[in-house]
Amino acid sequence: MSGRGINRYSIASITMRVAIALTFAGCSSTDRPMTTVSPKSDLANWIQSLYIDVTVWDAIILAIVVTAFILAVFVFSSRVGEAAPAATASSDLGLEIVWTLGPALVLLMISVPTIRTIFRSQPAVAPAGALEIKVVAHQWWWEFDYPDGAKASNELHIPVNRPIRLLLESPDVIHSFWVPQLGGKRDVVPGQINELTFVATVPGMYPGQCAEFCGLSHANMRFRTFVDSPDDFAKWDREQLAGPVATPATDQLASDGAKVFADSPCTTCHMIQGVSKGYIGPDLTHFGGRTTLAAGVLQNTPANVAKWIENPQEIKPGANMPPLLLPGPKLNALVAYLESLK
Amino acid sequence: MAAQPKPLPVHQPSYLEGGGIVGWLTTIDHKRVAVMYLASALFFMAFGGLEAMAIRVQLWHPDNHALSAATYNAFFTMHGTTMIFLVVMPLLLGFLGNFLIPLQIGARDVAFPRLNALSFWLALVAGILLHLGWIRGGLPDAGWFGYANLTERYFTPGLAIDWWVVGLLVSGTSTVLTGLNFLTTIIAMRAPGMTYMRMPMFIWSLLVTSILILIAFPALTIGLIFLLFDRFFDTHFYVASAGATPILWQHLFWLFGHPEVYIMALPAFGIISEVIPTFSRKPLFGYPMMAYSICLIAFLSYGVWGHHMFATGMGPVADSAFAITSMLIAIPTGVKVFSWIATVWGGSLRMTTAFYFALGMILEFTIGGLSGIMHASAPIDLQQTDSYFVVAHFHYVLFGGAMFAILSAFYYWWPKITGRMLGERIGKWHFWLTVVGFNVTFFPMHIVGMWGMPRRTYTYGADMGWTHLNQLETVGAFILGIAFLLFYINIFKSLIGGERAPADPWDGRSLEWSTPSPPPAYNFATIPQIRGRDAWWILKYGRAGSRGVAAYMSGQTPTLSQAAQPVDVEHIHMPAPSIFPLVMSLGVGTMGLGLIIDWYRIVIIGAVVVVLSIIGMGFEYADFGQESHDPEHAPSSGGIDVRKIGIWSFIGSECVFFASLISTFIVYKSRSVTGPGPEILNIPLTSFSTFILLMSSLLMVLALAATQRGDKRWERIWLGGTVLFGLIFLCGQVYEFTSFMHEGMGLTTNLFSQSFFVLVGFHGAHVAIGVLWLSVLLVAAMTGNLGKSRALSVELAGLYWHFVDVVWIIIFTLVYLMQAVPGA
Repeated sequence: MSGRGINRYSIASITMRVAIALTFAGCSSTDRPMTTVSPKSDLANWIQSLYIDVTVWDAIILAIVVTAFILAVFVFSSRVGEAAPAATASSDLGLEIVWTLGPALVLLMISVPTIRTIFRSQPAVAPAGALEIKVVAHQWWWEFDYPDGAKASNELHIPVNRPIRLLLESPDVIHSFWVPQLGGKRDVVPGQINELTFVATVPGMYPGQCAEFCGLSHANMRFRTFVDSPDDFAKWDREQLAGPVATPATDQLASDGAKVFADSPCTTCHMIQGVSKGYIGPDLTHFGGRTTLAAGVLQNTPANVAKWIENPQEIKPGANMPPLLLPGPKLNALVAYLESLK
Repeated sequence: MAAQPKPLPVHQPSYLEGGGIVGWLTTIDHKRVAVMYLASALFFMAFGGLEAMAIRVQLWHPDNHALSAATYNAFFTMHGTTMIFLVVMPLLLGFLGNFLIPLQIGARDVAFPRLNALSFWLALVAGILLHLGWIRGGLPDAGWFGYANLTERYFTPGLAIDWWVVGLLVSGTSTVLTGLNFLTTIIAMRAPGMTYMRMPMFIWSLLVTSILILIAFPALTIGLIFLLFDRFFDTHFYVASAGATPILWQHLFWLFGHPEVYIMALPAFGIISEVIPTFSRKPLFGYPMMAYSICLIAFLSYGVWGHHMFATGMGPVADSAFAITSMLIAIPTGVKVFSWIATVWGGSLRMTTAFYFALGMILEFTIGGLSGIMHASAPIDLQQTDSYFVVAHFHYVLFGGAMFAILSAFYYWWPKITGRMLGERIGKWHFWLTVVGFNVTFFPMHIVGMWGMPRRTYTYGADMGWTHLNQLETVGAFILGIAFLLFYINIFKSLIGGERAPADPWDGRSLEWSTPSPPPAYNFATIPQIRGRDAWWILKYGRAGSRGVAAYMSGQTPTLSQAAQPVDVEHIHMPAPSIFPLVMSLGVGTMGLGLIIDWYRIVIIGAVVVVLSIIGMGFEYADFGQESHDPEHAPSSGGIDVRKIGIWSFIGSECVFFASLISTFIVYKSRSVTGPGPEILNIPLTSFSTFILLMSSLLMVLALAATQRGDKRWERIWLGGTVLFGLIFLCGQVYEFTSFMHEGMGLTTNLFSQSFFVLVGFHGAHVAIGVLWLSVLLVAAMTGNLGKSRALSVELAGLYWHFVDVVWIIIFTLVYLMQAVPGA
């Protein structure tokens, strides 16, 4: 037995794995940016390979069950009124042992890589050279604090090919951090600090979303992760530390907007370095440099910013930000100022 | 026995006849209770179904505004809560379990008929409380799992979650009473000759489900009680800033929640194991393995709750352990699927709608089971949990498994229940539309989940690529809606003019088919003698398949009651109807309502009604303290009185209740952020109380001995002594609590104080109930009503009293004495 038998088995298995991999790959990550089957990190890759393993076994078991079902219903049985079939046994020890031990063996095959992956993906200590980023999940937005003091809101930047260790905490309710292309989710639980460790392997933008129901606007708690080349990341990090770019004196509208902001209630909740010290809402120091607004819900365009400021509740029901009743010109100035904060 | 069919000895009115509206309100007939469960479940199913349709409409396209975020959240919460607590469980247990247990085991009713009626009315009250948010405060909107700390009043200030907490507490109480009743019935009231290994598989599944209910629901009750205290009395059981952890809720909830899945799945397995043999004209394949696998699934289901929590950061060791136990469940489940197929194999199939649904269940459930294996692998689960993949998975299990089985059961047992057939033609349409609608709705959810769509989100972005599949799902949901409409039409048509059902329309195998359709109130004119599995089949055809066939074919359908000697059915003694279950449930509902709308006078009115109805129930039968059982069944087939089995089952359930409280205390006692800690405990005083309580147990033993030998004088003395010692213990506790208050430790001071007061307070409440119970017995003894013949009443109170004392020994050791041990 059986070099040949084993060969045949592995050929079948490889064919099946390739077929499944192709199916997964068919789900292009540009059309489906939240796909779980287009891994872009070591963690996501481990999960993917386990996923393919179990899918193969599931497919084999399903095929056996469906075949047995079809044979039982359509072949090896008769209909009432037809000649009665030969009597069959009402139990069969051999068969019963087979369908107890068979699945048990399959489960053994699945459980070994499962446990290996569980331990591999949850290292007790941070890998050497890991970048530790504090992730604070709020109802309903994300805050990212870097060890060098840089702060970001709703847009996480990380360097490619460097171990990342996220330290997840929540000041309010339970949330869950999830960027499908970078790996599985990890809950953010008040009162404890959870960790998520991975190495992103492909630069790009990967959307994420809160995955644990966290109240009224749970659906509107999205964010983006940018995996940057080391140089891009270093540049971004320097900009964040530097504070806001000064508004050019020539830009009258934006300068007016700065005054509107300084006199508005915005300052109680939002920080702009050197301007205001609020900390309840997202830091706006580099607001103009972000691609999205309101925790990944809207594209960051002047029109959307104006719409948001006028009535945040319409876009994100339950958000803490009250509608700001500003006359048109002041609103335009404020928007111009915010967009100038690169 | 079934040799000569004879003409009807007397007219046998069906259980549906007579009584009028009052008859239904006061009924304690298990079949009428079942029908009321059915009506209420069908009513709530329409609600839950419409909520699901509204959800699908909202997800038709990205950034839709058909529903507001608040309405959407309320709808998915109520869809889950309704379908689980008000539809699937009531249909499987309240409706099918209630109707069929006595009929399949050859009994005249369940062990505690009034308790059964109470279960139903409480379930109805719970359903109403859960829906009162429509009128005031809004519908519950934190998900059916209600994860703390989102459910704390700070984050959800309105009444919505209050309705949910109180509604589920009442519903849970109702379910535990049902479990206790079913367990006792199945253990004690099987007809002579029906050994465990001769029981129909549906009865096996309900036996194990009842045990699961008794050990799973207390965990939910404790979780809800903590939440209730947090919301109403300002404790901090789930508040991180007080040192507590919201994860405690998840442990308690899933310790209940995973067995709950099997509380819904096991009876479904039981149904399929009844339908398939009947329509294959073959005995169930591998009966012993089928019975053992039910037990094994239930056993494992109690140790897998952590697989709902892989993302919470339990650490790799716990993750691995829960992954392995979860995978193990696949083995006994696989045994069931293969055994069903082997039953069909070689059968002589009769392709009815009931059989269609059963066959459909095998395949749909298998798909749900296989995706379950994926979730058991923790790393894969981290990608799938809280995504639409999980929504697909559990709908394949709960709809493809439980709901298909329920629909199969409808077509199968409807003729027995109503005396009329359901339409087969419309039934086949119903089946195919259900299959198509179900798969079109839920299969794409696997894919859209794989593409990262999170569940419980009221809207999604257009750039995610989820739109088309969501539209397909919505189309499927509407097909499913039409299928259910056909189902309701089929039921309606059958009720107003369906074909009359014979006693045994499917050539059935179990005892219920030996009774007329619908059965008389007393079920069996004479209790049948059971000679093997498939009891009715053996009576019809004999063991070898020859004896009795001639009789069966000779014209009239025989029924057991006819086949036996003529019996004067007028003299079958059935328990009398009672209004108290309804009144008491209304009292409970009033208490819940008063608590929520913050009107304590209403709470007091409700409490008075409850107490009065308990007293009323106690004196309802002239024969004090003795529920009026069919004399043939007391003592039971096992030789033990049903009430004793009931008390033991209750004690088993209470063990989990106290275990949950004690575990919480141990976890929380040293996590307080401020205030006094365990050092405040007064060990010498409590040692004295403990001694007194232990001595009361001794007096209890002496009291029982006195009663048993008919010594009225010492009976009074010992009972009085027990009551007195119980009172001294309670006084000690009151003194202890007040002195703590004076020292500045109130209920809400810190985690230590709240878990101490709740644990010790609940134990004190148990002691107080025991003292009341014993006082009633003492009064009876004083008035000379407690003779030797009622020794059992004393014994039952004694069992409870000893249990409460044993719990105190554990509490005294873990809460008080351990403080004296350094480092504990």
